[in-house]
Amino acid sequence: MTTRTAPSSTRQFGKAFSRYPWLYSLIMLVVLLVINRSLQDNLFELFAVNGNLRVWLPAMLLAAGQTMVVIAGGIDMSVGGILSMCNAILATQIPSDATAERFITVIAISLLAGLAAGALNGFGVTYLRLQPIVTTYATSFIFSGIALQILPEPGGRLPRDVTTFFRNPIGDAVPVPALVIVGILIFWYVLTRTRFRQYLFGSGSKAEAAYATGVPVSRVRFTTYLLSGLFAALAAVALTMGNGTGNPRAGDLMTLPSVVAVVLGGTALSGGRGSVIGSLIGVAILGSISNVLSFAQIDRWVRPLTDALIIVVALAVPGVFALVRRMRR
Amino acid sequence: MRHKMLVVAAILAIVVLGIGAVSAQETYTIGISNSFVGSEWRTQMIQNIEDTAAELEEALGIDIELVIESEDTDAAGQEQQILNLINRGVDGIIVNPGDAEALRLTLEDAVAQGIPVISIDQEVDGEGVVNVVIDQSEWARISARWLAEQLGGEGKIVLIEGFVGHPANTARMTGVEEVLADYPGIEVVGRETGSWDQATGQQVMSDFLASLPEIDGVWTQDGMAFGVLNALRTANPDVWPIASGEARADFIQAWGEVVEENPDFQTIGVVNPPGVASDGLRVLVNLLQGKMIDAEQLAGPYGNTLYVPLPLVIVSEDFTYTDMEGNETVFEANFDEALAEAAEMPSAYTLDGMLTQEEVDAFFVAE
Repeated sequence: MTTRTAPSSTRQFGKAFSRYPWLYSLIMLVVLLVINRSLQDNLFELFAVNGNLRVWLPAMLLAAGQTMVVIAGGIDMSVGGILSMCNAILATQIPSDATAERFITVIAISLLAGLAAGALNGFGVTYLRLQPIVTTYATSFIFSGIALQILPEPGGRLPRDVTTFFRNPIGDAVPVPALVIVGILIFWYVLTRTRFRQYLFGSGSKAEAAYATGVPVSRVRFTTYLLSGLFAALAAVALTMGNGTGNPRAGDLMTLPSVVAVVLGGTALSGGRGSVIGSLIGVAILGSISNVLSFAQIDRWVRPLTDALIIVVALAVPGVFALVRRMRR
Repeated sequence: MRHKMLVVAAILAIVVLGIGAVSAQETYTIGISNSFVGSEWRTQMIQNIEDTAAELEEALGIDIELVIESEDTDAAGQEQQILNLINRGVDGIIVNPGDAEALRLTLEDAVAQGIPVISIDQEVDGEGVVNVVIDQSEWARISARWLAEQLGGEGKIVLIEGFVGHPANTARMTGVEEVLADYPGIEVVGRETGSWDQATGQQVMSDFLASLPEIDGVWTQDGMAFGVLNALRTANPDVWPIASGEARADFIQAWGEVVEENPDFQTIGVVNPPGVASDGLRVLVNLLQGKMIDAEQLAGPYGNTLYVPLPLVIVSEDFTYTDMEGNETVFEANFDEALAEAAEMPSAYTLDGMLTQEEVDAFFVAE
């Protein structure tokens, strides 16, 4: 009796993990948060939560867009460039005495710029059939070049009302970034309840089979680049409203972490499998690793190495589990 | 038995209380935030903080615990550093901001929580933040004035600058332009960035030498000046242009080698001291001890800056410097001393200088 129930429960776990590939990541995040909490008493107090979420939010938005591209079988190495470009637009076009109307218009323009950038990527990848990694790497220089044209040196200052609103919890209780994160989750929930879900995952896993069954693979992939561009623009809005200024190199160091977060979140780089939820968790994992190292006061010379080692271990965990399972069989 | 226990307990209590009284001396936890590693200047900066902290502990009978956040990172990463320092409950923060404007609001948050913030090397326009920096424009004006005087106010010069768009570079080039405006006979025939990098500086200078028929002078600075000197030594033109220099040990050593071959060779090294970090720490500790900054001493574009005087100008012949207000300062020839000091230092070491406690106290309201 008992011998029978044990394997069936492991099988159920296995099922849950394959249905929700981000469960591993969630466990990893919980472990990291427990460690972080043991080193930092006020980790879950409002100021700390608000601050962490504010710093992580742009990376989360980038990773969310990246996830959809990756699931459909591509990759977007230009998200940092798009962020820089939109950050430059926002910082230069919203003066500190801007009206609400002006503010909203400029945000709309920068979102359009993000979409246009995504369209350029999508055109290159799906219609010119260029390699995604090369195409988007090349276009990233176009976008960061435009950023430097618009804003040659760091600067610009948004109205104080805007930054004050964004940086302070609503009613001294709810951090604004938390609301945005809920918004991303709702977006993903709705998206995965439409036919687009089949299209998205189908385009990634077995593109030819999907095409044969009537999935418009090219259009789906084009759409994912559009979405990625849009999310990168939203990330720029979050960044700019957070620190109130622009830097033409703001996104330089943000592209690779967005890919790492996607992978940490259980999304397969080979496409066809993954979740935006996991990528958000992935960003929180990366942020928590750096916070744990900071609060543990790891010597500053070994910190980059420790940081990298933990990320490698985190990336390897699902692989190790799978290996163990294969060896048991 | 019970009596004995009581006696032991009493003795223990006295001992514990005694230790408590002895160790009740004030402890200041001070957070350091740095976003750029891998430059000797920043290494010296942190070393200076550690040394001065030890000195202050001794002098004031206090404990200083340093929490050092130092890694290569962007503005978001440095914001996380500062937030972690705030969350850790530090008593004060010393920051060298990578992007002063992007960190402004987070530094203001720290000040609002009662944590004094000192920004070194870069000026932050933050309410309550105190900047402790050298005047970058004045720093550049000294060597620019020297160059113009050496040329007798006549000739064709090239400018090799640092990162275009970096606030320190902008301030320095403004200073250079202000000085050159006094010399209509000097014509700028080339201007290029050397990215504050020795190899790039050398390349840019080699290109200038190859493409321009006449160069009488070169104004350059930090790191790149050594590249320029190397380019000149390699090309070895019949008449060397007069070039400004820098104050790093390897440059001073090379300067010494060139002088041996050509006794007429002259240049100038104006020290940009990593010692501002030590000055910043002294200002911070004064604030933590309840001293008040003398409002008269605050200056700068945002009215919250304490300008640290430039500690050292290295020249091989006396140089009378005239600032923009017409005040004259004589920098006496000190190259031989500088060379002796540089000879013992690692090549990327910057000759340094820092304020004494008395000089820092002069920024504060007398008690």
